Amino acid sequence: MLANAWLIPLFPLISFVLLVAFGRQLKEGAAYVGILSLLASFVVAVGVFFERFAEGAHDYITSFDWLNIGDFVFTMGFEVNQLNAMMLIVVTLVSLMVHLYSKGYMHGDERFPVFYSYLSLFTFSMLMLVISPNLLQAYIFWELVGASSFLLIGFYFFKPSARAAAKKAFLTTRVGDLGIFIGISLLFWQTGTFEYAAIFEAAHSGVLSPEFITLTSILIFIGAVGKSGQFPLHIWLPDAMEGPTPVSALIHAATMVAAGVYLVARLFPLFEASATAMLTVAIIGGVTAIFAASIGLVQNDIKRVLAYSTVSQLGYMMMALGSAGYVAGVFHLFTHAFFKALLFLAAGSVIHSVGTQDIKEMGGVGKHMPITKIVFLIGALAIAGVPGLAGFFSKEEILIATYDSGNVVLFWLALTAAVMTAFYMFRLYFLTFSGTPRHENHHVHESPIFMTLPMIILAVLAIFSGYVVYAGFGEWLAHGVISGEEGEGHHTWIMVLSIAAAFGGIGLAYLLYGRNNKVSTAEPKGLHKLLFNKYYVDEFYGTTVIKPYTLFGYVLKFFDKYVIGGLVQFTAWIAVAIGRLGQRLQNGQVQAYSLVTILGLVILLLSMTAGRLW
Amino acid sequence: MTVDLLTLNWGLLAPELTIVILSVIITLADLFMKNGGDRKAFAWLSVLGIALATYFTYQDLGQPVQSLLNDTYRVDSFGTMFKLIMLIGTGLVFMMSIYYVDKKEIKYDGEYYYLLLTALLGSMIMASSGDLITLYIGLELLSISSYILAGIRKTNLKSNEAAFKYVVTGSVSSAILLYGASFLYGVTGTTNIIGIAQAVQGAFNAGFDFYIYLGFFMFVVGLGYKISIVPAYMWAPDVYEGAPTPITAFLSVVSKAAGFAIVMRLLFTIFAAGNIATGEINAETGMPINFFSDEMTFYLAVLAGLTMIIGNTMAARQINVKRMFALSSVAQAGYILVPLAVVKINSPVVMNISFSNMIFYLMAYLMMNLGAFAVISLVTKANDTDELKAFAGLYHRNPWIGVAMTFFLLSLAGLPVTAGFIGKFNIFVNALLFESYYLAAIMVVTSVVSYFYYFNIVRQMYMRTGNTEAKLAVPFGLQLVVLLTFLGTVLFGMFPNVLIDFISTNFSVMDLFTPGM
Repeated sequence: MLANAWLIPLFPLISFVLLVAFGRQLKEGAAYVGILSLLASFVVAVGVFFERFAEGAHDYITSFDWLNIGDFVFTMGFEVNQLNAMMLIVVTLVSLMVHLYSKGYMHGDERFPVFYSYLSLFTFSMLMLVISPNLLQAYIFWELVGASSFLLIGFYFFKPSARAAAKKAFLTTRVGDLGIFIGISLLFWQTGTFEYAAIFEAAHSGVLSPEFITLTSILIFIGAVGKSGQFPLHIWLPDAMEGPTPVSALIHAATMVAAGVYLVARLFPLFEASATAMLTVAIIGGVTAIFAASIGLVQNDIKRVLAYSTVSQLGYMMMALGSAGYVAGVFHLFTHAFFKALLFLAAGSVIHSVGTQDIKEMGGVGKHMPITKIVFLIGALAIAGVPGLAGFFSKEEILIATYDSGNVVLFWLALTAAVMTAFYMFRLYFLTFSGTPRHENHHVHESPIFMTLPMIILAVLAIFSGYVVYAGFGEWLAHGVISGEEGEGHHTWIMVLSIAAAFGGIGLAYLLYGRNNKVSTAEPKGLHKLLFNKYYVDEFYGTTVIKPYTLFGYVLKFFDKYVIGGLVQFTAWIAVAIGRLGQRLQNGQVQAYSLVTILGLVILLLSMTAGRLW
Repeated sequence: MTVDLLTLNWGLLAPELTIVILSVIITLADLFMKNGGDRKAFAWLSVLGIALATYFTYQDLGQPVQSLLNDTYRVDSFGTMFKLIMLIGTGLVFMMSIYYVDKKEIKYDGEYYYLLLTALLGSMIMASSGDLITLYIGLELLSISSYILAGIRKTNLKSNEAAFKYVVTGSVSSAILLYGASFLYGVTGTTNIIGIAQAVQGAFNAGFDFYIYLGFFMFVVGLGYKISIVPAYMWAPDVYEGAPTPITAFLSVVSKAAGFAIVMRLLFTIFAAGNIATGEINAETGMPINFFSDEMTFYLAVLAGLTMIIGNTMAARQINVKRMFALSSVAQAGYILVPLAVVKINSPVVMNISFSNMIFYLMAYLMMNLGAFAVISLVTKANDTDELKAFAGLYHRNPWIGVAMTFFLLSLAGLPVTAGFIGKFNIFVNALLFESYYLAAIMVVTSVVSYFYYFNIVRQMYMRTGNTEAKLAVPFGLQLVVLLTFLGTVLFGMFPNVLIDFISTNFSVMDLFTPGM
């Protein structure tokens, strides 16, 4: 089965090709092509996972030579290890759910088949990224993931805001990609290979100097910062909510943004070799976690709150990885994928029905949408870290990992962020579902089965996916990746604190929004205003980066128009002139042709003789 | 020396004999069939026969060098590689021809098929010849067959003009070639190519150096005719325009491959492997000056550069597609000549790289150019015009063909992910490696010029509307050609190693200098 893992990305690729070719004829039947292909991928992924999970299973890696340049051989192939066996399940499952859900959500859209073809392309790229056995292949698909997400975010291209968001997402992540590109180029320069295993070996055998490892790790981390929406490159993620909601669930909850975390986890042995790099990852993660959570407290757009929540949770994962909590970080990636996708889909269900994204204009929706209400509640409880649900298990592990790393500040950051998370999620829940309606829409109704079914499945996972710890999931993940023993000390008091944080946040939200279902319409002031305006990061970039850049652009434009343009014109003129000369010679007279041949011979001989006499 | 013809190893000639028998069968069948009869079956029969000959040729791979009749006919890895190119190319041309040939334009259509086979035979003989005489016979067999084929549309004025110009210019270059050959025979006393290589240094030292220079230049100009490089390129636009489109494809691919086969074999075996020391010393480096790699490669580089410049700039001015592709194929010949013009003969490994690059590019060129000509022949016939506007709206009339043509053009322009990109990139690196920066620069600049006319066609296909939006049906033979060449162009672009490995395992440049068993 492991040897057949290449089938997993193949099905979405086939689906993409079929949809591009026959999409127009299939119309809404395109959904079935996408769903079936993802179902097939998911079945194979499950088979692969269980085979890898079985006792005594080994990693599987295979590749073929792709390019030979000089002495360098570039390979392409695939591998299956613990980490990506898990990722394959997550990606195929969430993607399958999104494919199902979109059938209901996108119903009636004019470009329905196009949407499905983009979804397939995206899923294909993401899966290829995950099973890549080397950095080069991973980078190629990393970029393809970026390109296809650009298409998906900008799917409603007729809306200027969607266009701008797609552009912003692409450009911001490109800044990070530059880092990763330089990073892997440097690694290749020093080690002569892109293979993960060989790079780890070089890092641990002392071939690479410690400073070099720090430099390359941080450069690669910059790429992860861009893709995973970490501070300070997080600005694109909230704006990317302009895309259709299923896209947000797929890309901005479970897959693409998780790619950065995945990459850091995959390169964990490299990062681990540099304490500085680890600390950087932990600090950026911690800052992002609290920073984004605090913004999430006051936002009014349901999807934006979820977006900031995602940024904050990804920060959590990074913080765990940076604190040497490999298992904790990856485990949270696993559980978070389910409940965050669930929350997005449930939010989509509400938006679909109410017709607005502003929670100030919602309220009382739960009465008409009982299923959506229950699954959203499950998701919110899971992310808040209430005991018994998935988020509780992984969050506690992260808290333990940060505590064990000895960095007390990080630990308290994480705990504060946990309180905030519980608070903003339940603020969202109370304002949306309970109380009395604050909108004029009388047609609020439960969503169709294609939309509710995926939500129910994800809700079940949001409850139970945490229990895999009892099946030895953590030890299995760590096997062969973590060199030392992970400090698995039992800190009961941490568990108590984390439960207190969850219930504290929920209780606070209940006090403020649950009892009297009112929203203030006053302009935000003071700290509230700072948070509401997202710490003015966008404005800061606007004046410090974009404006000077635009000015520089004008200078370049001038240079381009007159200097480069002039050169181009000149070159074109020369080409035309030579062509005209040739044309004149080509007069159609066969004797002229022969004459040119003979003259050419004579000139060659003369120049040779002249050259020899010189 | 007498040779007992019965003891010869005739098995070596299996590919050639297959083609001979095939053409005889078709000639006879043509005689006995009634005039109005449909002769399309000849084409499929030829495709089968060519497949058989390809199989025989394929069997020759990996064998040691063998020769017949005192080394006048050689079966070595060099010739075998080229024969594979020619056989596959001609096979595709036959598939293209099936739908093209009709009784209205070509009254005696049987001739078309067996002349194409004799042309193929001539080119195979050229690839395998070990002697100037054999080589010349092969050359003329190819030339005369192609003269007739160019003019086979007897009632078409353009076709007549093409044949006439082809004959006249061809004769001039044959004369130049023979004149050059006579000098070399005169100073070395033999017509055997390896024999000349062995005797040429002695003749150089004996005071006949001028005749050797003369012979070299006459070879370059005379042989340059077949590969259409400066100064013998001018026939190409007129002949390509007037000849039937599949024949144009044949001339641009198979005939050109045959030309490269003899250019490389002659120039390299005689002058480079002869390793002539001019007896002079470079004042700066103190190294002895070598005839080929220090002196003559300069002239080859100049010719290659001029060929790229003239081919591309003139192609950019054409509005007739066939003329445009004639000049594009002139430019392509310039690219293929680059590795020979920068070659350093100090190490077999390095020479192998240069030769492998040329062979790779020829194979890529076979795919992309034949594919492009298949589409051209479809489009020009459907619209009854050879002008660029025949391509207007092609994508909307038949998206598959439009996309395939886009890839052929991308490949010809040398853009990824196509075989043409890999080929051009290798040649470019080859030029840089041997510090021929001017040539590398010319390659880049002229490639940019070439985007102009290649993308002009792309623009027509996607952004212009034609006179009709009607679906364009594609006959089966053409579908097959487009499909095969498309797969070749794209797959060898994505997995170039398959082809590079094939060349490096089956081809060794040292075979050129090894006398056969």
